[in-house]
Amino acid sequence: MDQPDARARAGDRGNTMPPICNPTAHLSRRALMKGTLAAAGGVVMNWGGLTGTALGEEAKKERKHCILLWMNGGASQFETFDMKPGRPTGGPYRPISTNVNGIQICELMPKMAKQMDKVAVIRSMRTSQVDHPGGIYLMHTGYQPRGNIRYPEMGAVVAKYQGLGDSDLPNFVKISSNGDAGAGFLGPKYQPFGIGAEGGLPPFSTSQKPELDEKRRNDLRSFVDSQFVETSRSEVAKMHRESYEAARRLQKARQAFNIDAEWAKSKDLYGDSEFGRRCLMARRLVETGVAFVEVGQSSYDSHADNASWHRGLVPPMEHAWAGLLEDLKQRGLLDTTLVVWTGEIGRTPTINNRAGRDHYVRCWSTALAGCGIKGGQTYGESDENGAEVKTNPVTEGDFFATVYSALGINPKKENYAGIRPVPLANFGSNPVKELLD
Amino acid sequence: MPSFDPTKSKLVYQLTFGGSWPKAVAFLGDGQRLAAGNQFGQIYVWNLPAAPPAGAKPGGKDRMAPNLPPVRRLEGHVNEISQLAATPDGKLLISTSYDHSVRVWRTDGPAAGKAEAFLDGSTRQKAPGKQAAKTPEPSEGVMVETQTASDILAGHANWIFALGLSADGTRAITGDTSSNVIVWDIPGRKPIAKWAGYPWAWIVSASLAPDGQTALVSEYAYKRDDFDIPPPALKLWDVATATEKLDILKVQFPKLDPKIRTYGSSQAWRKFVADGLITTAFSPDGKLIAAGQGGETDTGKVHLFDAANGKLVRTISGHRYGVTSLLFSSDGKHLVSGGRDTQVRICQVADGKEVAVLNTPRGGQFKDWLSALAISPDQKRLAAADIAGIVHVWEFA
Repeated sequence: MDQPDARARAGDRGNTMPPICNPTAHLSRRALMKGTLAAAGGVVMNWGGLTGTALGEEAKKERKHCILLWMNGGASQFETFDMKPGRPTGGPYRPISTNVNGIQICELMPKMAKQMDKVAVIRSMRTSQVDHPGGIYLMHTGYQPRGNIRYPEMGAVVAKYQGLGDSDLPNFVKISSNGDAGAGFLGPKYQPFGIGAEGGLPPFSTSQKPELDEKRRNDLRSFVDSQFVETSRSEVAKMHRESYEAARRLQKARQAFNIDAEWAKSKDLYGDSEFGRRCLMARRLVETGVAFVEVGQSSYDSHADNASWHRGLVPPMEHAWAGLLEDLKQRGLLDTTLVVWTGEIGRTPTINNRAGRDHYVRCWSTALAGCGIKGGQTYGESDENGAEVKTNPVTEGDFFATVYSALGINPKKENYAGIRPVPLANFGSNPVKELLD
Repeated sequence: MPSFDPTKSKLVYQLTFGGSWPKAVAFLGDGQRLAAGNQFGQIYVWNLPAAPPAGAKPGGKDRMAPNLPPVRRLEGHVNEISQLAATPDGKLLISTSYDHSVRVWRTDGPAAGKAEAFLDGSTRQKAPGKQAAKTPEPSEGVMVETQTASDILAGHANWIFALGLSADGTRAITGDTSSNVIVWDIPGRKPIAKWAGYPWAWIVSASLAPDGQTALVSEYAYKRDDFDIPPPALKLWDVATATEKLDILKVQFPKLDPKIRTYGSSQAWRKFVADGLITTAFSPDGKLIAAGQGGETDTGKVHLFDAANGKLVRTISGHRYGVTSLLFSSDGKHLVSGGRDTQVRICQVADGKEVAVLNTPRGGQFKDWLSALAISPDQKRLAAADIAGIVHVWEFA
């Protein structure tokens, strides 16, 4: 903000107040905005005031939530949910039985084997972006990247339609994950709030001042902003204002991000890993009302030594995922929380001469559990080698339509990118009814 | 003490192996019987005469030496063969597998039956691209005898990666991906020592000193998450007491702490260890230890350590990518290593000088590793398993 202009404008309007801003406050705010913008990709997060009323609590309970477990790099379907033992494409792992008769999964997932009654696996994903940037965009938005439209991520959509407008916590949180489509044309209000790999909040989120001082500073800032907004409709100014308000409200809700005490008790359930901690954080945030939490694990891009990579990554992942499902169920949250498991791509049936698997999108697997989903099933089949979809192909659009439907969001609902109406799930997409409760 | 001249070698056989990846090789007693195992759990045995039979032809258009059919298939393992080792007298073959079992085979054991084996891998090798090849029409089969193991040694509950034998073949050491190590008394077919490495680590290699009293165990943990990469370990253990004798990596990095997983800490050992010291050996006199860097590291080095104090004697580099297998010649003068650069490198132990390179790379980067090596007790033949589906056999003067 340009201080001299603000004062001049104030003066032009006959305002005789003495200078109300001092350079130190401005610098602090600029630093805050810079830090905020850096963390939020240049736009402002979505915040709301936390209500403590019974009505607010009730509204939270009825709302639906989503936790996206993002397997960055593309987990292999052959080493997770669609095994081909004995086939040339099978690899060295063996399948194990689960608590659902007839469903077998990889031996690397013994804990998930006991949760499969909650899980619906799609073995017939057939998508259209084979490389990471395009695939990450596609499986975060449901749309191909286009230069002229900024499609919103799943998290932004859920934040909009299931978020609490009055929460001190953001409605869209990313924990160590990927994807930078953000809120797209939905606007900065639905941008994700990112936290680090170990769940740490950005340093700018902490005020060093006493609460009363911080309130007075905010009142002052608010006043100056209110003067400015009358003469400027700058998007950046709007972002600045919202960002500041959001950061302030976050102060009240910081405790939601502190899981150390609970981690000590939950470590065994989620597994002693960073991914386990992130999943616990996700449960906690959902429990406090956050609409959408994305939890990332990286990286499954196993072009070499595929078996070793998956043996390293899958066990902590599946332990945490199983713990999350169990924890949500025990807390009565699973019926209102959709847990989505996916990456941007699958992996090739053929094992290359680096003992790896490359990118593959003609036939791969994702999984859904919880809210709105009929668990204990597999949907779609691959052929004997896992090379092609044999039955019931599911496109990225169908996948997103299914996710939104499970969350009670109409996938055909349109928002506007400029003057252009854009449905939440791509034209021609349909939810997979067999997966929905 | 038999020896060989590494500068005078000749490729005498290229044995086609079933369209699969041979992952382990061992000579059975002399240089004329060879066993190799693949990722499907099959172990084939060949009789390799001193000279290829008249009319023996290469197994494919890109082959340069004759192919012979195997004579026997050892059946029982149901997952990848990770290691093969034969006792010096050639009477026993020991195999380890991802099926969690250690099996002992009598090399002169009776046949259990006969089966038709299909060993033409060339059709599969021609399948390019990322889609799975259509299952090829099997070529004319080869009739082989079949045999089952004389003993199955149970004790591991996860993939067995590591196998080593004492010089007299009476003791074996095995290690698995749950960080468990077992030392076996082979004549008695029973475990005599057990211990575990660092939680989350895999035992990627294990060797026994010639006298079988000391074990060398290499641990490596593959990445679990963005930051969950525990440090590796390379340690000497006393077999009798199952206790640690010497932490060799600690000798190199005194500040190494398994509990510290910072970036800075990891950089200290990552260049030294790369993607794991996945192949190890004691020198025949037990005074030196060799440990080779595995994985897709850009320089596959072999570190030589003094077995008495763990100090680094020298590092031999030369492989363009990770080392997959190594062994000492029986006179201890040469170190033979195979790698992901598809080549066998033979170096002098005394000064690290490379004196011979065997095998011609067949393609560009990452083309068909050599996965395992074996040298015959008379030092006249060297076998190298190749994930292109070939077992190469060279003969030295």
